[in-house]
Amino acid sequence: MVVTDPTVETPASAEELARLLREAAAAKMAVIPVGGGRASGMGDPPERADVLLHTTRLDRVVEHSQSDMVVSVEAGITLEALQSELAKAGQFLPLDPFHSPGHTVGGLLATGWTGPLRLRFGSPRDFLIGIRVALPDGKLATGGGRVVKNVSGYDMMKLHYGALGSLGVIVAASFKVFPKPLHDVTVSNEGGWEAAETALSTPLGPSAVELSSDGTVLARYLGSPQAVDRVVSGLEWDEAEESVWEKHSHSAPETWARITAPRSALRRLVGSLPEHDRWWASPGVGIAHWVIRADAQSVRDMRAKVEAAGGTLVMLAAPEGFMREVGAWGTAPKTIDIMRRLKKAFDPDGVLNPGRFVV
Amino acid sequence: MALPRAVIEELRRVVGRESVIDSANDLRIFERDGSIEGAMPDAVVLASTTEQVAGVMKVAARHRIPVVPRGAGTGLSGGAVTIRGGIALQVTRMRGILEIDPVAMTALVEPGVVNQELSLVAAQHGLFYAPDPSSQKACTLGGNAAENSGGPHCLYYGVTTNHVLGMEVVLADGSVHWVSGDAPDRIGLDLCGVLVGSEGTLCAITKIKVRLLRIPPSIATLLAAFPSIESASQAVSAVIGHGIVPAALEMMDNVTVGAVEAHYHAGYPTDAGAVLLVEVDGIAESTRELTAAISKILAANQGYAMREAQTPAERELLWAGRKGAIGALGRIKPNYYLHDGVVPRSRLPQVLSAVGEIGEHYKLPVANVFHAGDGNLHPNILFDLRDRDVLDQVEAAGEEMLRAVVELGGALSGEHGIGLEKSAFMPWIYSEDDLNAMHRVKDVLDADGILNPGKIFPDPSRRPVHLAGRTGLAIEAKWW
Repeated sequence: MVVTDPTVETPASAEELARLLREAAAAKMAVIPVGGGRASGMGDPPERADVLLHTTRLDRVVEHSQSDMVVSVEAGITLEALQSELAKAGQFLPLDPFHSPGHTVGGLLATGWTGPLRLRFGSPRDFLIGIRVALPDGKLATGGGRVVKNVSGYDMMKLHYGALGSLGVIVAASFKVFPKPLHDVTVSNEGGWEAAETALSTPLGPSAVELSSDGTVLARYLGSPQAVDRVVSGLEWDEAEESVWEKHSHSAPETWARITAPRSALRRLVGSLPEHDRWWASPGVGIAHWVIRADAQSVRDMRAKVEAAGGTLVMLAAPEGFMREVGAWGTAPKTIDIMRRLKKAFDPDGVLNPGRFVV
Repeated sequence: MALPRAVIEELRRVVGRESVIDSANDLRIFERDGSIEGAMPDAVVLASTTEQVAGVMKVAARHRIPVVPRGAGTGLSGGAVTIRGGIALQVTRMRGILEIDPVAMTALVEPGVVNQELSLVAAQHGLFYAPDPSSQKACTLGGNAAENSGGPHCLYYGVTTNHVLGMEVVLADGSVHWVSGDAPDRIGLDLCGVLVGSEGTLCAITKIKVRLLRIPPSIATLLAAFPSIESASQAVSAVIGHGIVPAALEMMDNVTVGAVEAHYHAGYPTDAGAVLLVEVDGIAESTRELTAAISKILAANQGYAMREAQTPAERELLWAGRKGAIGALGRIKPNYYLHDGVVPRSRLPQVLSAVGEIGEHYKLPVANVFHAGDGNLHPNILFDLRDRDVLDQVEAAGEEMLRAVVELGGALSGEHGIGLEKSAFMPWIYSEDDLNAMHRVKDVLDADGILNPGKIFPDPSRRPVHLAGRTGLAIEAKWW
C-alpha cells in the first residue's frame, strides 16, 4: 500500500460515517473502508489511502425479529456476535467463512467470502434481504427491506454484494436467518474426489462437502434425525467432531487464492496445481482455495488455465510485491465498461478503494 | 401515435415483413397484460433471435422509441404494458431449450420458454426448475427473470434470482452481453443480479442459464383446516419456529376455499376460517418424520380435518385448488384485482384483518390466497366491471391495503413487481435518496430512458395516489 500516514476514522453512527465519507470525497481523498480487517489483503494494493474508514463501532443488532426469522444489524458487528444473538432463538446465519473469527458482516458482504455451508444455503447473495449504504456524496441509500421476499425496485443488494466497497460503504444489512437444524452430523473419509462425489450424490444432499489436498473429505448432513442417520449409516464413514468446522474456518494462509470454476471442471483444474502446494475445495460448489508456495509465474499459468475453463482465480492475500506481480483479479470481464460507468455514477471522483477492485 | 413508415420499414428489415404488426386491430391483442391498466403499442415486433432483438433495440435507440420486452403477458403489475406507446418486443418465438446439462444440473433457455415446459423436459433427467409461479403453465422464463418471480415453493427453494446463473442480455443501445455464467463468484460487479428483477427497464433478456435441482424422491402434501386466519397464522409460525422450513406453506381464507371447493371438489373443508396447504419433500424418512412433526404442531394450534395426499393424483388435486384458486373466484364475481404485498410473517393476522376491514368499507368482497410461510399475501378484490365507478373503488381499496402492508413494516411487492401498478407508491418505502441510487443504475444502462419507460419509478405526470397525505409514515417507521 502506498501509504503516508492515513487518517483513521471510527464513526459511531451511519450518519457520521456518511458525513466523513462525503468530506473525504469532497477533498478527493482516497477512502479505504475497513471492517474486521480479515480480508484487508484482498484486491490490488490501493493506489492511495488517505482515510481508513472503520465500521467497527457500528456494531449493534438493530432488530432481531425471532418469529419472522429476520435480523437487521449494523455493518461493523462481527459474525460471531451476530451468531450468538441468533443462537438465543435457536437460529443462525448459514455463513462460515475462512480466516475466521473476526469478520464483520459488512466486510463479508463487500468481499463475498463464503465457506463450506454455501453448498446447501448459497451465499449471502441469497439471504441478504436489505442493505443500507453510505455513498461518496454523503447520501445514505437503502435497498430491499425486512421481508424475506421482495421485488420492490432494483435489487441494490446485488449491486453492492462483492463490490469490495467500490460503490459505497455498507453500513447496515438485513438477513433472512434459518432455524438451527434438527440434527447435525459430520462424517469423514480419506477417499479424495471419489469420496466427495459419493457424499454429494447421497439421496439427502449434504449441506457441506470439503475436500483437502491430503484426500480427506468432510461431509456434513443437516435435517431430520432419521433421514440424517439413514444417510450417514449408509455411507459408513467415520463420524467427526463438530469442531472440525470451526478449525477449518480458521484456515488463513499468508498467500492464497480462490479458484472458482464450473463444477465439472474443478477437479481437472485443481489436479493441475503445483504438486507440493496444499489446497482445499468445495467440489459441490465449484470453489477451491489454494495455499500458494509456488512462484508468481505458476500462479499466472494457473490463472490462464482456470480462465480458459470459464472460471476465476482471485488472490485473497499475498505479500505486496507478489500481489503486484500476479494481479489480484485476472482478466477483466467483457462487461467492464458497464461496470466502470456504474462506478462513475456512484463514485465519480474515484475515492473509494482506488485501484483495489476491478473498477 | 403511429410510428413513421420509415421506422416500420427499418424494423421490417430487421425481423422480416410479417413479424412487424402495426394495424390497429392486431395491436389491440397486445394492449394488456394480466394487470388492470392497458395501453396500445404503436407496433409489435416478433423477434426470433438475439440478433433481431439487438437490431430492434438499435432502431429504437436511433429514433428514441420506447421498447417494452414482452413474454406471455401474464404479469400482474403492468410490466408489459406499453404505457408510453412504442414497440412491444415480443420474444415468445424464442422458445428453445438450448441445452440441459444433467451433470452440471443447469439449463440454457431462450426467454420465451414456458416455465412449466422446462420442468417437464428436465424431468427426463430427474431434474426440475424450482421457481413455480401460479401462472407457470403460461408464463415465460424471460418474464420470470425480468420480474424475479416467485411461487409457492420459493419458501424453501428461493425465488428466480437464486436460480439464474447467467444471462445474455441486449442493452438499450443494442449491444449484446453475457452477464455471469457457470462458475460462482465472477470478477467485478454482479450485473446479472441487478438485471434480474429489473422489469424490462434495464435490458431485454435473450438467453438464460438456470440452475436445475434433483426431483426429491418423496413429497408429502398435507391439508389442514383452522377456525380462523389467526389460528392458521399461529400454526405457520409454530411450524417454522420448530426448525422446520417446509417446501411450501400456503393459506387460503374461507371465501377462497368456498369457491375452490365448488369448482374442484378437492375436499377442502368449507366451514373452515382458513385452510393451510403444507408440503415437505426430501427422502422418505425425512418427509415421514417431518409430516408427523408438522401434523402434531398443526393439531396443537387448532388444526382439524387434516388430510395427507395418499397418491400423486390426490396431491395434484390439492394443488389444483390452490393454483387454480384465482380462476375459481369467478364464481363470486366476474372480475378480480389480485394484489401482492409482503409483511413480516408475524404480522399476517394484523394485515389480514386490515384487509378485511378495507373490503367491508368499500363493500367489495375480498378473497385471500397467500404464501403464508413468506408473509406474502395476495388479497383478491372481487368485483363486476359492469357496476358503475367500481374500478375507482377497487383501486382505492387496493391502495389502502398496500398502505396497511407498508405500515406493518412490509414491502410493496413480493413477486409481481412494481411496474405501472405500484410505481406511485414507491416513496412509501424508499426515500428520495434511495430512489436516486436506483435511478443512477437506470441512467447508466439506459440514459435515454427508452426501455420500458414509466415503470418502477414514480411518474409525476400520472394520477397521484389517494393516500399521498400520509406519505412519510413508513419512512419514519423504518428500522435503520
